[in-house]
Amino acid sequence: MKKLGKIAAAATLAAGLLTGSTLLAADTYLDYMKKPAPTDCFESREGYSNVAPTEIKPGTPNVKCSNKTNGVLWWGDPFDGTEPMGDLPIDADYKHEEAVVKPRTGQLKYYAPCTTCHNGSMVPYPKSKAPRALVMHQDIVPDALDLQHGRGAIWCLDCHNPRNRDTLIDHNGGEIQFNQPMKLCGKCHGEVYSDWRDGIHGKRIGMWTKGGKKRWWVCTECHNPHMVQTKRFQPIAPEPRPQYPRTRTNADHERNHGAGHAESAAGTTGGH
Amino acid sequence: MSDMNDKDKKNQVDPKENSRREFLKEAAGGTLSAATLAAGAGALLSGSNEAEAKATWGEWFQKNYRLMTDEEKKESVDRLEKRYSEEYGKKTTVDSVPAQEGVLFGYALNIQKCIGCRRCVYACVKENNQSRHDPEIQWIRVLKMEKGNFLEENMDKGYPDKPGIQVGGNAYQNSGVVLEGEHYYEPEEVPEKGHFYFPMQCMQCEKPPCVKVCPVRTTYREPDGIVVIDYNWCIGCRMCVSACPYWARRFNWGEPNLPAEEMNPVTHYLGNRPRMKGVAEKCTFCLQRTRQGRYTACVEVCPVGARKFGNLLDPESEVRKILEKKRVFRLKAELNTYPKFFYFMD
Repeated sequence: MKKLGKIAAAATLAAGLLTGSTLLAADTYLDYMKKPAPTDCFESREGYSNVAPTEIKPGTPNVKCSNKTNGVLWWGDPFDGTEPMGDLPIDADYKHEEAVVKPRTGQLKYYAPCTTCHNGSMVPYPKSKAPRALVMHQDIVPDALDLQHGRGAIWCLDCHNPRNRDTLIDHNGGEIQFNQPMKLCGKCHGEVYSDWRDGIHGKRIGMWTKGGKKRWWVCTECHNPHMVQTKRFQPIAPEPRPQYPRTRTNADHERNHGAGHAESAAGTTGGH
Repeated sequence: MSDMNDKDKKNQVDPKENSRREFLKEAAGGTLSAATLAAGAGALLSGSNEAEAKATWGEWFQKNYRLMTDEEKKESVDRLEKRYSEEYGKKTTVDSVPAQEGVLFGYALNIQKCIGCRRCVYACVKENNQSRHDPEIQWIRVLKMEKGNFLEENMDKGYPDKPGIQVGGNAYQNSGVVLEGEHYYEPEEVPEKGHFYFPMQCMQCEKPPCVKVCPVRTTYREPDGIVVIDYNWCIGCRMCVSACPYWARRFNWGEPNLPAEEMNPVTHYLGNRPRMKGVAEKCTFCLQRTRQGRYTACVEVCPVGARKFGNLLDPESEVRKILEKKRVFRLKAELNTYPKFFYFMD
């Protein structure tokens, strides 16, 4: 009995070794496990919501990231690097619970701050909001000449404050901080704003409990306001696919399933 | 007698080799005397990995979790904490927090928003201590679906040819979704044009078919709506796996491979504690987190905020507001399983 068992075990092991190489394709979690962990991860918007993995206490990382896409996969401390939203005078339903946000200014690539150059003397204040060809910042807005936000009805200075570039501006001339873009976006996108306050649109992490502490995500943590008209969410690379079943080396079976039906339907006109 | 000696030797060589099932069968059949039982214990205790041996011995004789007294639960939890801490080389906690009163967990997923990035799949794996490979176990599946095409000219196409009565196509020429869903898609970028994505996981049914079929009642529904499994009482018959209409249950076909550095040391007895070979497992809405008030790992990771979680009994909760304001459906509602997992659209 024992001997037989051993032989069977050895046979399975050998079979596993022989077939293992063909069954393990290169895009599974297993393959990426061997790669080094990234030193810079992104939360939602690649390049604009980055976080560096560290340890909040020995053995507990602040975030765990994907070795394939560098995307954050797991938060050890959901409130790492946040500040209370209450300090920001925003009109939201945070009275019942402790709400925090992550400041945006640190994520903005060209926030030096902006008034370093746009101070009225180095770069003069623009005289009108009328659209014109941009000389600078084509890199921030690749299609700056074809900005589609608002279907061409609005332009840079409808949102960016011409007198103080460190801030945004709403249509009434009210100054809005980069850290609270929902105040600006909500002026036009009222329905989404209301959903966001209810927690239906957008993202919150932390505690689900009533009155529990939550980190609220603001508009620009997911959306690129300049490109939002063409892409609501900038496409990202997906995480690795699951391993194929043991008997498969590809996924043709699920790709061709529907086509098979279509063929038989085409070949047999009313044959059934 | 010689037979018994053989068994004793076997125990001393590798206590793991003697499975619990085999052992109990023999004990029940009377082939093992009390003396052998004691010898077996001795053999286990003299094994190389003492914590594991002790824990295994204790685990063999513990009751179904639901029938345990509080002391027995504590004993079991202590045993496991000690064992996991030693096995994975880090301080591991095993929680036994019961369901909170006035809480019924509900989940909502915005099917329009999901981009199919699979981050939820791996957030779940990082949190819930699944086997990483051979078997690779993932509790969430994301299906890539073709967008339907309900064109008027296709409505009467296909079999039966004329007169076409099947509005929206038929079995041979479907004018709606053609593919049943791709599971292994791997494009450069998601979302892909002309597709939507459909994540599936345990729906925490109010009338769970998996619970109905379990012959040993190791899986049951907790008062807060979570269907849980006492892994130690599971006999591995896999009835639940086949009973589940949502493809939600997984089976540990082999010894789970969970590297120590990947292991999450914050666990719950009924949730994400490391499993063993031959038991079923599934999503528990991260009850080790949610019973402490924290969002589930998949809700937190979703980069587009498509996943929402909360208390169905609290009218102010996110899920309840979604049920109020949005168009909602449940998967396979016609099966009368009453899932607590809702899909919604803007």
